[in-house]
Amino acid sequence: MERGRLTPFGWAALIIGALIMVAPLMWTLLLSLKDNAELVGNSGAALHGPYTAENYAAILGNSSTMRWLLNSAIVALGTTAGELVLASLAGYGFARLEFPFRRTLFVIVLLGLAVPSQAVILPQHQLFAWLHLHNSYPGLILPGLIAPFGVFFMTTYMRGIPKELDEAAMLDGASRWMIFWKVILPLTVPAQSTLAVFTFLGSWNDYWWPLISATHSDMYTLTVGLAAAQMNYAQTSGLGFLMAQAIFASIPIFIVYIVFQKQIVSAMAGTAVR
Amino acid sequence: MRGLSLKPLSRFWPERSGPPAKREGSESLFRGLGKTLAAQAFGLGPSSPVKDARGRIGARSLLGAFALLALSGCEAGDDKTHIYLQRFFGECGAEFGASTDVAKSEGECGIMTSLINRFNAENPDVRVDVNVVAWPGYPQLTAQMAARDPPDLVTMHQGVISDYAAKGLLEAVEPYLAQAGIRPDSFTEASRLGVTMGGRIYGLPWDTHGGLFHINTALFAQARLMRGGKPVLPNSAEELIAQARQFQARTGKPYLIQSNVADPAYAARNQYTYMMALGAPLFPDARHIRLNTPEGRRVAAFFRRINEERLGTQNMDTPAAIAAFVSGEGGIYPTGTWMIGSFEKEAKTPGRPLYQSYAVFPYPRLWGQRVEFVGGHAWVVPARERSAKQREAISRFFRFMAAHNFDWARTGHIPAFKAVLEDPRFKALPHRADIALLGEIGRPLPSHVRRQAAIEGLVGEDMAAAYTGQKPVDQALADAERRVNELLNELD
Repeated sequence: MERGRLTPFGWAALIIGALIMVAPLMWTLLLSLKDNAELVGNSGAALHGPYTAENYAAILGNSSTMRWLLNSAIVALGTTAGELVLASLAGYGFARLEFPFRRTLFVIVLLGLAVPSQAVILPQHQLFAWLHLHNSYPGLILPGLIAPFGVFFMTTYMRGIPKELDEAAMLDGASRWMIFWKVILPLTVPAQSTLAVFTFLGSWNDYWWPLISATHSDMYTLTVGLAAAQMNYAQTSGLGFLMAQAIFASIPIFIVYIVFQKQIVSAMAGTAVR
Repeated sequence: MRGLSLKPLSRFWPERSGPPAKREGSESLFRGLGKTLAAQAFGLGPSSPVKDARGRIGARSLLGAFALLALSGCEAGDDKTHIYLQRFFGECGAEFGASTDVAKSEGECGIMTSLINRFNAENPDVRVDVNVVAWPGYPQLTAQMAARDPPDLVTMHQGVISDYAAKGLLEAVEPYLAQAGIRPDSFTEASRLGVTMGGRIYGLPWDTHGGLFHINTALFAQARLMRGGKPVLPNSAEELIAQARQFQARTGKPYLIQSNVADPAYAARNQYTYMMALGAPLFPDARHIRLNTPEGRRVAAFFRRINEERLGTQNMDTPAAIAAFVSGEGGIYPTGTWMIGSFEKEAKTPGRPLYQSYAVFPYPRLWGQRVEFVGGHAWVVPARERSAKQREAISRFFRFMAAHNFDWARTGHIPAFKAVLEDPRFKALPHRADIALLGEIGRPLPSHVRRQAAIEGLVGEDMAAAYTGQKPVDQALADAERRVNELLNELD
């Protein structure tokens, strides 16, 4: 969109919209910089000084915080990497290979989109208990790899790639694997980036599964750890600390957004899919 | 790595005869991942070909950072008897992580952290490993039990004990109490009832908490409701209405600060307390609640009247009600023992609306008997295999905690032991002489009734609707009764 084409009314609407979006974030940031006791009586005190970094110091002073940060990073990166591999392979299979019950299998995969994770949480928990995988990184990562959306997404994307490319490669003597690895996969980088961003964000913010699978504090992810660090009635007597936790937990996500801004905007706009 | 174990593996205690296979499984998986990370980061093993040298360096740096962070969690193994404790009350390691001076600690988290540190310091052969969970921690505990890997000690609300004990998931603790030299008759009546189910004791009671009238004495003085330096509280429902009108007329502020929004415990506490006072049998048996009774209607209609006459604040949730009270926006805030510390701090801070203007008392008797609905915290022992040393360590922990029950009472909770209630140190704490009565008049819900936390939510929702006029009183009582009975009848 060219800047010159925006009318004053458009600009005003844009600015108002932006302010509405930014206001809660700014409010959270300001609250996080205030003394908890001051906020008990009047949260409006966030609008003026004095400000303090003591809530952030308390978070960093907790010896477990960096551990939880590491756990979140390992789980989010592991889930992302695993899902990219599996979704790409499955997507290629569904998009390019002919095998019995291909369509049926694809429909079954798509049906997975309609099943909420809460519906399978009990058998999933029992299964992981039986496999002795609770309180382990595989236990936190593996459920995230069940990703029908990723398979659907990659299948759709790969179907959009001309088959002539495969045929040309075959004429040159390339194997199926070579075609996938050397020809198709490089062309799916935009889709991979989009899927990676969504998977990373989802995994980083996940709370429910880590809450019941990682029951030992040294295996907590950041979301579970920060929640555990809250005292009861944190929303009243520890409001500043609560908001500092929210800001702290979002910093890595913010960094991911900055680094992958182009892909995220592209994904949101739907331009990553042909 | 010899002699060291990664932190997640530190729970692989030699005394444990529980589920070692699980821990071995987790250990090997984690160790494998750790080795892979370390090997790739430091080039100790085969790595996949990467064409771009910069990419290889970047990947290795990243993995190296992860591996170093992982290894930073290494700790030495030891020969101590480990017991694994799970609690809520938050994490305050930054402030109290190294503290063993219980007397200098403050707040639930601070005192709890210092107590456990002190126990570890005084018992060099035992190590209490602490797991802090998000309040109230029951989803995690249930998951741990389902995975056959529960902790050794857990903080539990007394109202929840029946849920777990009825399924055989908790050990009766009489043997631990006997070994620790703790006699059940040393518990307060409220505490004893709170941990007893079917004649067995399922926890070391830790405190009693219940509703209190937190009072702004400056506003009470303005309303001429102070006598001899103490606030005048009503002795009947009609007297409360009269005093509330007087308060409102003289101060221009509401008599009651109410949190009737998103706080079902508030309405449930009021309804339970005054129905108990009227002698209504709330639970005639383990499968039924009885709310839609003349007593139930009387209590609900009374609180409805307070709202109709605008004698209490409207549309407030808990944070709003707390903010209103500390800002001097009303006379009485009926909330729990747990807020005493925060309000007392306000009362000691010059310039604050509550400065030197705070008093607190149990709910006044408005009808019938002087009784009050209460809950409490307890230390429970989930059922699992344990070594004799671990059992002995749990007994020792019980003895230590019972001996330090006074320290916990500084949080504002009522002690679980009669001796602490009579302790001059306890009586010397601010307001404690005024609220100690709660230990005697407190009544928990009957222990044979399960799902008490869920029931409190259902009752509180409908009672709040009745109090605020969103539902007719009769309908709210009938709805609450029906919903609770459905819940109780679904239990196996």
